Amino acid sequence: MSAGGAGGGAKGGYPPQTIMAIGLIGGLLGVYLGHFMPPAYSFFGGIGAICATVWGADAVRRVASYGLGTGVPSIGMLALGMGIIAALFGLSLGVGLLGPIIAVVVAAIIGGVIGALSNKVIGMGIPIMEQAMIEISCAGTLVILGLSVVIAGSFDYAAVVQNVVANGYIALIFIIGGMGILHPFNASLGPDESQDRTLTLAVEKGAIALIITGFASSLHEGLMAASLNMFVGFVIWYIAFSKYYAFIKRDAYQVVGTGLLPSAEELQ
Amino acid sequence: MIDLMANIIWMLYIVIGGVLISWSVHFVPVGGAPAAMAQATGIGTGTVQLAAGAGLTGLVSAGFMMNVTDNILLIIASGAVGAMIMIAVTMIVGTWVYVYGVGCVPSSAKVKVDPITKYRQDIYVSQGTEGHGLPTVSFVSGVIGAALGGLGGSLVYYSLIEVGVNAGLKGSGVTNSVVGNELVAVAAIFAIGIFFVNSVIPSYNIGGTIEGFHDPKFKKWPKAVISSFVATILCAIVAVIAIAQLGGI
Repeated sequence: MSAGGAGGGAKGGYPPQTIMAIGLIGGLLGVYLGHFMPPAYSFFGGIGAICATVWGADAVRRVASYGLGTGVPSIGMLALGMGIIAALFGLSLGVGLLGPIIAVVVAAIIGGVIGALSNKVIGMGIPIMEQAMIEISCAGTLVILGLSVVIAGSFDYAAVVQNVVANGYIALIFIIGGMGILHPFNASLGPDESQDRTLTLAVEKGAIALIITGFASSLHEGLMAASLNMFVGFVIWYIAFSKYYAFIKRDAYQVVGTGLLPSAEELQ
Repeated sequence: MIDLMANIIWMLYIVIGGVLISWSVHFVPVGGAPAAMAQATGIGTGTVQLAAGAGLTGLVSAGFMMNVTDNILLIIASGAVGAMIMIAVTMIVGTWVYVYGVGCVPSSAKVKVDPITKYRQDIYVSQGTEGHGLPTVSFVSGVIGAALGGLGGSLVYYSLIEVGVNAGLKGSGVTNSVVGNELVAVAAIFAIGIFFVNSVIPSYNIGGTIEGFHDPKFKKWPKAVISSFVATILCAIVAVIAIAQLGGI
């Protein structure tokens, strides 16, 4: 199976540095704002997670354009696998506010090592593998931190373990966070793929993640905060989805309605 | 650094577990999207999904066994059997679909005769495909792979639980509260993280598809095992520190 790209670098759109800045700064800012603001404003964590999702999706887009040899989903799962280890480690050290930054640094180290191993030992021969792996694991870490902040209201290790990990919400975060990173390129790949359309889909997926974690946050943060989280998520989702649909109409040759399936009488 | 030396034996087990998972992926007949269309031999989904499915089933059965005993051999055996059942069921139901639904003969395009049954393969391979369904050798290979994966997964999980128990946490016991058991949850999610990392690395090594231990690609396994070895050492250090810190909160 050689699902993925055509075997070349991804073209066009914003340069990787811009997206990286959005993801890293936006992600960390969101995580910290969600931590310091009262629980009702924990949706900032979700907005940070959306920024990180966009970054991760862009990195997946760039690396998967070379053709991974296996499906695009594998790299999203790898991102969250590395991310979850790094995120919990960073928080566990008990260094207070430095936690998320340490988590991102550790993610970069793990990602860099795995990227180097894939290129040097396994011999995948993708020129940007190391850099992309670093970006993907950092984005995965920030997604997990951001969504954890939405549920727990802070990134204190004890709070995250009790309110996110121990009750199993972490599995939910794992999958929806991974979906946000892997799905946009997986759904949009092909010769007519364009960056703005893929990344808008990433925003939309991140917003769905915010809605779902907002729902989950009702357990700990109460109904008011949860409703606000879900409301913010829904607004972002609506804007992103409308924009995504507009991009589809822009990129498609023609959008036509097929109508309903013909009924049994009409077929006769 | 935080009592890393005290946990060195568990870290060793975690690394062995990671390497076993990485090796196990090479046994599982992964067909990817072509197999889903009956155009390649193997199960019609990706490596990660299969390895994760088998590994997580192994984790669940190992965790269940931990409720009754703390004998490491029984626990990892339970994990291995759980994973084997999961993969075997997936493969047998897949075979029914290929044989009775798609209507093709399970056959391998990589070897001329099945190394186990000695049946001819090449005359049954449809034109334009790389084999289809799951011939006996792939089935056996898949079950071996699942056993190794389950073994690795439960070894990682067991080691992480033991690290937590050494740090003064309670490793088992069901609570009725919505909060649940912190150590079990953290160990499980770390085991899942390590499992995903170690199932994606070999899937890049085999290029997405493999038929089993008779496939020429199988010979590439040392590369993935070395990569997983290095990657798991990193993950093990990080995971052990994070779990040991749980004792302090």
